[in-house]
Amino acid sequence: MELKIRKNEDIYIVDVNGEMDLYNSYKLKELVMKMLEKKVSKFIINMENVEYIDSSGIGALIYISSTIKKLNLKLLITNVRGSVKKVIELTKLMGYFPITQSINEAIKTMKE
Amino acid sequence: MSEQIKTIIINDNHPLMNREGMFYKDFPSDYRQIRYFTLLIVQKAPPKIKEINLLEQQISEMIKNAVKHGNKCDTGKKIKVWYFFSQEEAKIIVEDEGPGFSAIKQWNKFNKERQACLMANDFEGLADYVAYTTDESDENDGGNALFAAVEYWNEGVIFTSKANCVAMGKKFERKNNSLELD
Repeated sequence: MELKIRKNEDIYIVDVNGEMDLYNSYKLKELVMKMLEKKVSKFIINMENVEYIDSSGIGALIYISSTIKKLNLKLLITNVRGSVKKVIELTKLMGYFPITQSINEAIKTMKE
Repeated sequence: MSEQIKTIIINDNHPLMNREGMFYKDFPSDYRQIRYFTLLIVQKAPPKIKEINLLEQQISEMIKNAVKHGNKCDTGKKIKVWYFFSQEEAKIIVEDEGPGFSAIKQWNKFNKERQACLMANDFEGLADYVAYTTDESDENDGGNALFAAVEYWNEGVIFTSKANCVAMGKKFERKNNSLELD
């Protein structure tokens, strides 16, 4: 799994590439926690290039979502599709996660 | 299975426990190789099977549970896997050498409460039920694999009474890609 960060004004977009599985999902958690230490307050996690997710990956997203929610900061998860969407649907957490269809929609929502 | 609240069942004599006609492999409890072991099993599945990635993910979760929680990653302990795949169904049995998953009743109760939140669209309440963890869970455990398992394995998720062996079955929806002739 590869993680890349880009910026749109004060919004930080984390592009996740590859597989979010039991061996590497912790990396996304660690990255977001470091960004929180650096006072980042608006996050978009872009799942467009995630080919595989398992319960550890879902667990990482739960941890990140609940942490950011508790801190009253902003998070949107975007481009959830294919087998990643299916796995989240199986856990019935589609309504729990703050999901948008596209990055543009996420940026627009963040700026509202 | 009921479309209401799906539960983990304990039944030593459930038909899904029948190993007859199934393939068999055993593996050392090597955490680093869980996904490799899964691929060795899934390669027996017909390529046309519906959503094969999802099947792989679901099997990987059960192998992980056996390796990590059952056998505590003790490479001297084996996990045993029986499996059968066709375009119509998938069946798998995973057995470890551990003391068994002793929290099945608590898990079912937890899942019932979780489902109640979901049915009520109570996402505030759901925050307390997003993951099921025990004292043995660590920060890398998502705590959500069994929620997905009871949904995915539509023929059931069945444990033996010792609870160190789990059997699961799924019937696939038929792909409607043929012409219907009167």
